Amino acid sequence: MNTNPALLRGMTGRRDALRLFGLAGAGLGLAACGVKGQKAAPPKQNDVQKYWAGKTKKGHLNFANWTLYIDKNRTPLKEFTRQTGITVTYREVISDDPQWFGKIAPQLQAGQSIGYDLMVVTNGLEFTKLVELGYLVPLDHSQMPNFTKNVGAAYKQESFDKGNVYSVPYATGLTGIAYDPSKTGREITSIQDLWDPKFKGKVGMMSDVQEIGNFGMFAVGIDPEKSTPDDWKKAGAKLQEQKDKGIVRKYYENDYIDALSRGDVWLTMAWSGDIFQQNLNEGSNLKFVIPKEGATIWTDNMMIPKTADNPVDALMMMDFFYRPEIAANLAEFINYVTPVPAAKDVIAADAAKATGSKKKTLESVASSPLVFPTDADYARLRHYRSLTPAEEKDYTAVFQHITAG
Amino acid sequence: MRRRLAPYALILPGGLWLAIFFVVPMVVMLSFSLMQGDVVNGFSLTWHWQNYSEALSDYDDQLIRSLVYGVIATAACIVLAYPVAYWIAFRGGARKTTFLFLLLLPFFVSFVLRTFSWKFLLADDGIVLSPLKHAGLLPQDFHVIATGFAVVAGLTYNYLPFMVLPIYVALERVDPKMIEAAQDLYASPAQAFARVVFPLSLPGVFAGVLMTFVPVSADYVNATVLGGTNNTMIGNIIQNLYLVNNDYPQAAALSFTLMAILLIGIFLYARALGTEDVLEVATR
Amino acid sequence: MTDTKEAGTPVGADLAAIELNGVKKTFHAHGDAVAAVKGIDVSIGEGEFFSLLGPSGCGKTTTMRMIAGFDEPTEGEVFLHGRNVVGVPPNKRDVNMVFQSYALFPHMSVFENVAFGLRRKGVAKSEVARRVGEMLEIVDLKGREKRRPRELSGGQQQRVALARALVNRPRALLLDEPLGALDLKLRQAMQVELKRIQREVGITFVYVTHDQNEALTMSDRIAVMNDGRIEQLGTPREIYERPATTFVAGFIGTSNVLSGTVARAGAGRAVIEPGLGERIVVPCTAAPGEEIELTVRPEKIDVRSDPPAGDGCALRGTVTEVVYLGMFTNYNVTTSTGAEVVVFVQNVSSADDVATRGDSVWLSWDPRHSYVIGA
Repeated sequence: MNTNPALLRGMTGRRDALRLFGLAGAGLGLAACGVKGQKAAPPKQNDVQKYWAGKTKKGHLNFANWTLYIDKNRTPLKEFTRQTGITVTYREVISDDPQWFGKIAPQLQAGQSIGYDLMVVTNGLEFTKLVELGYLVPLDHSQMPNFTKNVGAAYKQESFDKGNVYSVPYATGLTGIAYDPSKTGREITSIQDLWDPKFKGKVGMMSDVQEIGNFGMFAVGIDPEKSTPDDWKKAGAKLQEQKDKGIVRKYYENDYIDALSRGDVWLTMAWSGDIFQQNLNEGSNLKFVIPKEGATIWTDNMMIPKTADNPVDALMMMDFFYRPEIAANLAEFINYVTPVPAAKDVIAADAAKATGSKKKTLESVASSPLVFPTDADYARLRHYRSLTPAEEKDYTAVFQHITAG
Repeated sequence: MRRRLAPYALILPGGLWLAIFFVVPMVVMLSFSLMQGDVVNGFSLTWHWQNYSEALSDYDDQLIRSLVYGVIATAACIVLAYPVAYWIAFRGGARKTTFLFLLLLPFFVSFVLRTFSWKFLLADDGIVLSPLKHAGLLPQDFHVIATGFAVVAGLTYNYLPFMVLPIYVALERVDPKMIEAAQDLYASPAQAFARVVFPLSLPGVFAGVLMTFVPVSADYVNATVLGGTNNTMIGNIIQNLYLVNNDYPQAAALSFTLMAILLIGIFLYARALGTEDVLEVATR
Repeated sequence: MTDTKEAGTPVGADLAAIELNGVKKTFHAHGDAVAAVKGIDVSIGEGEFFSLLGPSGCGKTTTMRMIAGFDEPTEGEVFLHGRNVVGVPPNKRDVNMVFQSYALFPHMSVFENVAFGLRRKGVAKSEVARRVGEMLEIVDLKGREKRRPRELSGGQQQRVALARALVNRPRALLLDEPLGALDLKLRQAMQVELKRIQREVGITFVYVTHDQNEALTMSDRIAVMNDGRIEQLGTPREIYERPATTFVAGFIGTSNVLSGTVARAGAGRAVIEPGLGERIVVPCTAAPGEEIELTVRPEKIDVRSDPPAGDGCALRGTVTEVVYLGMFTNYNVTTSTGAEVVVFVQNVSSADDVATRGDSVWLSWDPRHSYVIGA
């Protein structure tokens, strides 16, 4: 997930646009990919050595990322090239996890290069599939000194990739509630506010099954990360009630931000960085809260596809993002949570040096709980539950029944 | 010998194109619709016909809704398109082509873009609804976007030219002498229209209905952009099953179910209208 | 509508079926005014077979459309049985039309096509069936009721069009070049057929055509039209033998037009003397010194090698072409005055041609066959 540029926002949600055009292509890709699955066994320590043995730096690297997920000048990449001599071809080709997975899966299955050595995928169903299908390279931590030194403790133990076997975080975001205080007329603090009949027809929910499922579970007091199929049904009933009462305006992809700024909805499930950016760019006064029942935290992760041509260069790039000054630069621009706590001091130092509006912005970034959540915030944040394919089917059935009414 | 083969050579490029890009995917999809499995463990062909019954029972609501939206939008298209086509055909004079071009002009802009622009135009506090609400003409909570009406209206708007053009072509071919003959035989202008012009334009209406109803029923853009919580169409479901759930067998089964329903519908419609007759008149 | 049509205005015995009074029609297109009909006065009698004959663009079709009600006159009046119908729409006029391309309704059976008018008039079902049946019998289409127009031959379609109009028993039937789409043989057969049907039903026929043979064969009277006006109105014989204008002379059949200065006159005759022993005698009142034009039909002229005796017409010339045509032989002769004359000589005996190309010959004819033009 990433920031939602004003330009794109004017026209379309990024997910919408690509989905609309991508269907035909996916169908053809499917025909080519055949129907074989290939479940992979978990890697052993010598798999790491086996893979990296004899691999050398090539001096070049192809990087696939989400749209507007780095500053316009590509500062971190230029700095990387300056320091290592490795050139980077950077393309913002990812706008949606399922789409991206659909695009690369056939090539990975056929053992062909996907044209990229480094890519960013959100933890979630597609990430799990990439791991289970053995499409990712196990990372050699001995070559990642910055990561080892600077990563926040919480990011080493994420349930979807404990011990960072395949991935390291690029940025992290929260799914909470965004609202327009001038419309709601009161502070929004609770998930239950999304069920308030006073806001009938003015509540936005997300159509993504994991996102909406999590919120349904928060609403009935269940920790989504530890939920059981029975819990899903309870959450589903709660969400169904919300829909039947006409409280929900629509199940949004990422176009909720437009609906919120247009006044079509007054409060909605939202991603933290989007709101921060919207306020910054449009001067709007939207608010983002972590509801008292909890919110989810998700992570966009860097990883190396198994068919990468330049894995050593990719690994170096990954590690480079863990230098505090690089992490700070990234956070200043994208306004999502950085996995490098030391970046906060760097931003604060930058703010002290800066002047005028730039100074103000940097100060607000440094003090923003959305970029640097407090320990209390972290205590309320929950992760996505990882799902096996069988579970995924049941889980999806429960929540898609609601969103695809 | 060469001369005999020449006609076949003519259909070769088109035939190959269709074979590669239509027939092959169709066969692939058909086999998918009878498979079981998931994307991680792979799919295997088990002749799992239940995919079809499951698709029907799980998504009957959306299927029926799609057909209902299709019927309403198609009917609205006929009502809107016929007078326009009639006017251009019989009153357009030397500027017929200009009028047709104007009609098609909006369609040089991307279909998705046009539909998205509706969201801004018709936003709850947007430039159309806001003044009306302030004037007290509409209740504060009135909205157009995220309703079934918006979806049907969007469908109607987007597919209107597909109705206008065939009706226009059919009306263009009606000899104005035919109208004079009817009037000469004591028919009032209204009777001349009802008894002669309208029946003669039916092939155009028939073609228009085919060209709108089928894509409208399978559309997913309008429901995505303009719909709300209970406006999901079958196209959205199929898209979701493919791209989000990666449940290819279910998606394929649903696609074929939709196709079968549309084909049967068209067949019954053709029978009811006596297409053979209609088409013969059209090709006269 | 039904009432006014079936009962109509009381018809007096002396009332014309159709009367046009100073009718003019001007079309406006692209800012230009085009006068299609420049003033027509005509009265068509009850039961008459009346033809409007003329080249395309002469205004004959516009005239007919004004009678039917598809066009309204810019000026003048149109009477149907004494009732001024200007402003009355076509569906309320008691005339029916047979269109040039028939304009049959392709989506209806023969029966339905013919029944169309009766049904619009609200005629009872059984009555419709009876009258349609009768009419199909008259036009010899019994047994084809269920056919669609496209399944019929051209001649059959023509007869459906006729039946469709006649079944309504209109005060007048308007036919717009109805035989134009048929081949020659069928056309000739249909001419006879049309005449028979007209006699049988006794309805006024107004027949628009550019084919002089058709007009001459079928009509009681013909109006020859040119440039929006009637050039001559008369019986086929009058029109043929005594064309009133050069245009009519040229348009109807083959006609020889001669001219000259009157040398002598008297006793209702004028004589032109182009050369020695040559004379053209014309029954007219022209005075000596006057320049006149006259016509002679080709079949009225004789070709001979000696100068004719008596005081008939005599003219010298040279044969430029001889064409044997079976029943007669066609001679083209250039006269001493330089005029081109066509002569038809009947082949009564199997003898050789009376002259061959290049021969010097004398042409002669009875003065009764000389018609002065514009008299």
